[in-house]
Amino acid sequence: MDEPLLVADEIVAGYVTGVDVLRGCGAELGAGEIVGVIGPNGAGKSTLVKAMFGLLRVRTGSVRLRGEDVTNKPAHELVSRGIGYVPQRQNVFPTLTVEENLRMGTYLRPKQFASRTEFVEELFPLLAKRRQQKAGSMSGGERQMLAMGRALMMEPEVLLLDEPSAGLSPAYQDQVFARVKEINSTGVAIFMVEQNARRCLQICDRAYVLDQGTNAYTGTGTNLLHDEKVIELYLGTLARVR
Amino acid sequence: MRNFRLLVPLLAVLFVVLAPSVAAAQGDEVVTGPGFIDRALQSLLDGIQFGAIIAITAVGLSLVFGTTHLINFAHGELVTIGAVVAFFLNVGGLGLHIIPAALIAVVVGAVLGGLLQLGLWSPLRRRGTGMINMFIITIGLSLLLRHVVLVIFGTRPQSYREYDIQRAFDLGPVGITPRDLAIFSISLLVLLGVAFMLQKTRIGTAIRAVSSNRELAEASGIDVQRVVLVVWVLGGGLAALGGVFFGLTEIITWDMGFRLLLLMFAGIILGGLGSPYGAMVGSFVIGIVAQMSSLWFPIDLQNAWALLALILVLLIRPQGILGQRERVG
Repeated sequence: MDEPLLVADEIVAGYVTGVDVLRGCGAELGAGEIVGVIGPNGAGKSTLVKAMFGLLRVRTGSVRLRGEDVTNKPAHELVSRGIGYVPQRQNVFPTLTVEENLRMGTYLRPKQFASRTEFVEELFPLLAKRRQQKAGSMSGGERQMLAMGRALMMEPEVLLLDEPSAGLSPAYQDQVFARVKEINSTGVAIFMVEQNARRCLQICDRAYVLDQGTNAYTGTGTNLLHDEKVIELYLGTLARVR
Repeated sequence: MRNFRLLVPLLAVLFVVLAPSVAAAQGDEVVTGPGFIDRALQSLLDGIQFGAIIAITAVGLSLVFGTTHLINFAHGELVTIGAVVAFFLNVGGLGLHIIPAALIAVVVGAVLGGLLQLGLWSPLRRRGTGMINMFIITIGLSLLLRHVVLVIFGTRPQSYREYDIQRAFDLGPVGITPRDLAIFSISLLVLLGVAFMLQKTRIGTAIRAVSSNRELAEASGIDVQRVVLVVWVLGGGLAALGGVFFGLTEIITWDMGFRLLLLMFAGIILGGLGSPYGAMVGSFVIGIVAQMSSLWFPIDLQNAWALLALILVLLIRPQGILGQRERVG
């Protein structure tokens, strides 16, 4: 059987020497899938994405892309191999214009700027109207659109999203989840860490529930959404009535 | 908040530099009299020239701070080394004309900047050294380099062989020597060149991107380490060029860069931290205020007035002249 597109295997990683945030957790992302990661605060969701993207050193375990070991490769190298990443906070270049932000997205392939800008602006029409606006003056929701647009400029095969709906108004949250589905429909595999567990599970093909740096539950989005233990521990009992 | 990171070292230098200045100022005569407008215009011109030299050196310091958040206290020594290397090539055994000597000094400054990044700052960062520790290391490096220059160059102020004393020609009510006009013109061209590079080239936009958000720059495919190396090379070269210009307009001394450092810091804070254009504008303001203050006050206190202007501007506009506040939410 072919190995999935992206695999994180038995990852141990942390920020401070001697303290492991991730304690052997893992995840897999197949081509064209949407995979979600949910869990309580401090479970290590964002840490897992950072470790997979080379922004945090993996102590033990491995990250493989198309079967090739890319553990601890620098992030800029992973971008050239087809992975895009949208951080949770500080996800735009505030002192650069919208156009310059998008241009940075094609830093490694400047020639595809025009064609990719067309694609991104079709997905996020707002960006076309704000090309010369400084990103630092945009609202949180607008920045999230720009951040996703920038990450798509390199035509990635995999998009890693770190809590894309965090801090956004309900209207913008709806937009974010709709855009994630739309991006996925163009063939981009999406690995999404999300604090809005219910919404995340609704759009995911599969999901992982992390707890204290380990995999607590794994399953399809629909199954986890109706799993009694997951509802009890992570979604809240109100989720039952929805 | 970023302004305050630099205010502490700034106040420390302020104390060190101003203490002797205040002492020396005792008994100085304040010049007053006729032809005040002519003298004011002359001071304004001198201030613009001085500001251009501060700007050339401050841009590098600002770019290093923007891309690495390192407050490089040793930047002044790169200025001194530029001036001193050109001096030895010009007056020493080789006897080169100051123009080729200056070009070689710029290359030496650029190489030294690059070597500092590759051999010191990059390994320290990889080992997770904190910014405060690195700031203290820049102070130690500054002391070390300054005293190496002191041992090699000596304490005696020196001048370059060419363009030492020149007759000023009149431009209406003001006068300027051909040397100062050339230095000013080259400085402006260099500053415009840096601005063009930052605004219109791929590496320039990458430098601005790294200054704006280092982690996101890496996540966008930019090799941040390479960009930072370019910034150090550029900063070292510009500092050396500024050193040669400062040595040509004033004199060459073993601590000339350190004396200029306070004004560089003032320029980049006044203009808006992290903004290279702000550093340019701020440096011109500092140069003009410093020179024009001597119309009314003792020349030894000119740095104090420049710093007073800095404090006043920051009270009104805490982000500096060109600094921008970011929208929250």
